[in-house]
Amino acid sequence: MPSSIRILTAVPICDGHDSAINTINLEFIRHGIEVVYLGFHRYVGDIVRAAIQEDVTAIGISSYNGGHIEFFADVVRQLKKKGADNIAVFGGGGGTITHDDAREMKRKGVDQIFFAGTSLTEMADYVRRQYAKGGKRRASSKPDLALARKLSEIEDAAAKGRKHRTPNTECRTSKVIGFTGPGGAGKTTLIDEIVLRFLQRKPKTRIAILSHDPSVIGEGALLGDRAMMINSQDDRVFMRSMATRGQAGGLSPATESCLALLARSGFDYVIIETVGTGQEALPFRNNLVDQTVLVMNPDYGARLQLQKIVMLDVADIVVVNKTDLERAKAALSEIEQRLTQNKRKQQVVATVAKRHRDPGVDELFELITKAPSSRAKSRDPDA
Amino acid sequence: MSKLGAVVEAVEKHGLFVLEQVKGARSDEKFAHAVTERWNKIKAETPIAKAPTGLPLPRFALPEIDEPGEIARYLFGEGLPGEFPYLNGAYREMYLEPLREIETGSYGVRAGRAAKSPNGSSEAVAARVSRAKAPERPPLQEEPTRLFSGLMLAEDTNKRFHFLSAHQRSKRLSTAFDGPTLYGIDSDADGVFGKIGEGGVAVDTVEDMVRLYDGFELGAPNFSASMTISGPAPIIMAMYIAAAKRRFGPKVVPNLRGTIQADIFKEVQAQNETIFPTEASLRFLCDMIEWTTANMPRWYPVSISGYHIGEAGATPVQQAAYTLSNGFAYAEMLTARGVPVAQFAPRLSFFLDCGLDVEYIALARVSRKIWAIGMRDVFGANARGQMFKLHTQTSGRSLIAAEFKNNLTRTAAELMLAYMNGTNSCHSNSADEPFTTPSEEWIRLAAHGQAILLEESGIFKHTMNMLSGSPGMKAVERAVEKAILDEFREIESLGGVLAAVENRYQRSQIQNAAHRYEQQIYDGTRPIVGLNRYRNGADEMPEIELARTPRAKQKLQVERLKKFKKKNAEKSKRALDKLATVVERGENCFPALLEAVEVCSLGQITGRLQEIVGRFRPMV
Ligand code: B12
Ligand SMILES: Nc1nc2c(ncn2[C@@H]2O[C@H](COP(=O)(O)OP(=O)(O)O)[C@@H](O)[C@H]2O)c(=O)[nH]1
Ligand SMILES: [Mg+2]
Repeated sequence: MPSSIRILTAVPICDGHDSAINTINLEFIRHGIEVVYLGFHRYVGDIVRAAIQEDVTAIGISSYNGGHIEFFADVVRQLKKKGADNIAVFGGGGGTITHDDAREMKRKGVDQIFFAGTSLTEMADYVRRQYAKGGKRRASSKPDLALARKLSEIEDAAAKGRKHRTPNTECRTSKVIGFTGPGGAGKTTLIDEIVLRFLQRKPKTRIAILSHDPSVIGEGALLGDRAMMINSQDDRVFMRSMATRGQAGGLSPATESCLALLARSGFDYVIIETVGTGQEALPFRNNLVDQTVLVMNPDYGARLQLQKIVMLDVADIVVVNKTDLERAKAALSEIEQRLTQNKRKQQVVATVAKRHRDPGVDELFELITKAPSSRAKSRDPDA
Repeated sequence: MSKLGAVVEAVEKHGLFVLEQVKGARSDEKFAHAVTERWNKIKAETPIAKAPTGLPLPRFALPEIDEPGEIARYLFGEGLPGEFPYLNGAYREMYLEPLREIETGSYGVRAGRAAKSPNGSSEAVAARVSRAKAPERPPLQEEPTRLFSGLMLAEDTNKRFHFLSAHQRSKRLSTAFDGPTLYGIDSDADGVFGKIGEGGVAVDTVEDMVRLYDGFELGAPNFSASMTISGPAPIIMAMYIAAAKRRFGPKVVPNLRGTIQADIFKEVQAQNETIFPTEASLRFLCDMIEWTTANMPRWYPVSISGYHIGEAGATPVQQAAYTLSNGFAYAEMLTARGVPVAQFAPRLSFFLDCGLDVEYIALARVSRKIWAIGMRDVFGANARGQMFKLHTQTSGRSLIAAEFKNNLTRTAAELMLAYMNGTNSCHSNSADEPFTTPSEEWIRLAAHGQAILLEESGIFKHTMNMLSGSPGMKAVERAVEKAILDEFREIESLGGVLAAVENRYQRSQIQNAAHRYEQQIYDGTRPIVGLNRYRNGADEMPEIELARTPRAKQKLQVERLKKFKKKNAEKSKRALDKLATVVERGENCFPALLEAVEVCSLGQITGRLQEIVGRFRPMV
């Protein structure tokens, strides 16, 4: 089975016209393309960084608010500067990009501009034709680029059913933290808030994030976490979005190997987010992570439901997020009670991840940075 | 239950109430008599005016009904123009030409003030019939045309404003801001240089605001300014007030007239210009509404907008349902803050899209009715607070690049629908909409399109209700009303507007509708002339002048801003600290904003506020 085509899409800075790109994303996914969507109102630097880390073959930009000639050219220029000129740039902007503009943009290195009136399938076909993998890629000395490509190789091997050699966890130099829990509980938001604290309080720490979105084998996926994770778009953060490609349980077939690679690639922390998991899920097996954070939504239903959540037995930290909601108080005490059964040291933290400077998130940050890593030889460069 | 659930109940109850009146008029002789008497009186008192051809016409058309039940259904169910529930119009005369020749009756006799009837006991019934008294006509007859413009720097837009309003009795300016301004970013910030003055005017400081409206009497009764900005609206509002004070002194403030868009819900749902987290944005918005409704009684501090929802691809029903529910959510929030409904309700206004889908025949009519019932029965608003004051814009998205001159016809058809719906003001898009900020040639045609419809043609100027109430229109009204209430129920079941917004409900619904719309274009279910029908093949591009901002102008803006910042370096620090303290304490921050804008730039203020409340976390 051919490995999936991966592209990144975004809308330029000071532009919120996302209707076209949302539609195009949906269409690409229908045509089996994996789309990492960075969102609207995005800087050139953020787009280029993301494209490199995600190792996409092309960047699709939808621009409506003018300044497209400069913006597209700037993306091309910065890609080149970063040694990533194998990544193609294409896009559209309805009638705001004239034919003359498009010619000039092509001269400046843009691959293709789609004008108003192009059918959706035409665009998807173009991407499948032009941006399937296999283009020649020079070996790179730039660390992000080399790492990103290595991760793709692992993913591709996994897609072909070959298991990449998994180096044993002993060579880890990073502390690995796993976030899991039901969809919508606030995992992504929490991770981004944790990252913000790292960036503000630990000027030397480098972080890698491995985030997952569900997908079916051979089909496309919308990898949209980056759009929400505004703080994580930073040079000290390496983020990679993965589609589960048909694997149940919250992770992708390549997760384990990718994680092993990231954990010995010079990051101080590697944070991994599973897709939204069900009650029976136990996504982190075989010492995959050093610390497990289970994020709960206070709306889990009746108390009885808690008995069935297996992760509650093994999580190191249980976060009850959305404690701004009415049901939070009850949920918190029910969960605390449930944990007493386990008779082991588990921490419970109440958070409101969506609130800026939330003290609960501060507490979680402390727990993550203070707890000694079980066996990894990692150390906190800012300690 | 949020207030939205109560609105659904109120609308249903009103439906039952109307049915009761119909039955009553058919069974209760006295009531039937009162109803019929009022009906005849309204007709008798309707002035007759002559069209230029000499044809005499009533200024006010009513259905030809004489059966009391049907009369009751009309009077209670839709109301005369200017009467509850305002289905036919928020005001009595709207676009009518001033009266010249009157043959019978006279303007000014209040509809429904029934004379003492012979069998005196029907007084009470008559009072019931005339409960909603017709509101006064706005004192000044203004042109409903209002064209959105903004380009390059403040002085360039100022020139455009003078060009556009040169021949108008009333100066109604509508301001578009450029990207950096819309996102609360300064022109000298990294990465935005090329965006300065694109798509709208660049405003960084109070000094730009002074330049922008130079030469206009901001406090004059025939002047009003509209500003299309929402994320940083409270800051821009403060700048406008500060600029007005600089030019005309503090006494001008209560006289300021205009509208600022400021609607945050639709930003999160559709336009994507939220800059603070949703709740913080809503708080700053309410701070501003509270302050302006208390100190600027003629200002509209929020324009609750469906336009962007529609343009993002929502169906017309989604557009109306989300807009109305957003409106009710604001009313609920302001009430919860203790702002009296009599203070804020009359200052809420609305902004809808008008495209070519059949729903637009009646969308605004139904919206007016639902708003009136909800505001009266759930929020206890008086007549002025029940009125859905509407600005309409024809659909930009319906205008396409292929054979773009067809856009003139599309816009004309949409204008027709908008005025059939009794919009209070209207923007008609230029035919070059798909390409650029309108050039003068096409903007002129767009403005003239309205004049042709309203002044040249006799469609709207002789008779109110000219195009109201056809069976087809009624059928659309019923279907649309039902569908809107169903949407309300869905939102209510998700926990109300704010919860639904945070769950991405509206966003995902809009995106699905947009995707469906585009697919329909290419599978042919949505015929679009020049695109998938009657295509001539030639890829015609217009010979239009593209409004692109020269680099020299962009540089000038950056230089001016740097100078301003340098000049105010000391003072701005103090002002920002003070603002921060007020925000941290949870007090109304608007007075502190008014001080801050004197010495701080937009970006400085945004930045400081974001340090305290955080940045907006976008939703996919
Ligand atoms: C819809 C719309 C809006 C909506 C956006 C809703 C949303 N969430 O997207 C709303 C009402 C919110 C809006 C607001 C504004 N808008 Co607007 N908007 C439009 C409009 C009407 C249609 C654009 C659209 O989405 N079309 C539908 C798409 C699917 O079709 P398409 O454009 O033909 O694109 C096709 C191809 O180009 C291609 N394509 C497009 N992008 C990409 C990307 C990739 C990767 C690929 C492969 C293909 C591709 O696919 C499409 C399908 O064939 C255009 C005018 C017009 N008629 O085009 C103005 C327009 C783009 N807007 C404009 C402006 C100025 C604004 C504002 C700045 C106004 C203001 N000052 O307040 C704001 C800013 C909003 C913001 N946050 O940035 C200007 C831009 C002017 C310029 N560049 O010189 C335009 C041209 C209107 C005008 N003439 O003034 N707008
Ligand atoms: N009420 C509330 N909503 C939150 C909070 N944290 C996150 N959310 C919202 O919950 C939704 C899902 O968050 P996300 O981080 O994507 O959850 P995930 O699926 O677990 O990754 C988003 O709309 C967030 O804005 C919180 O503390 N309170
Ligand atoms: Mg997530």
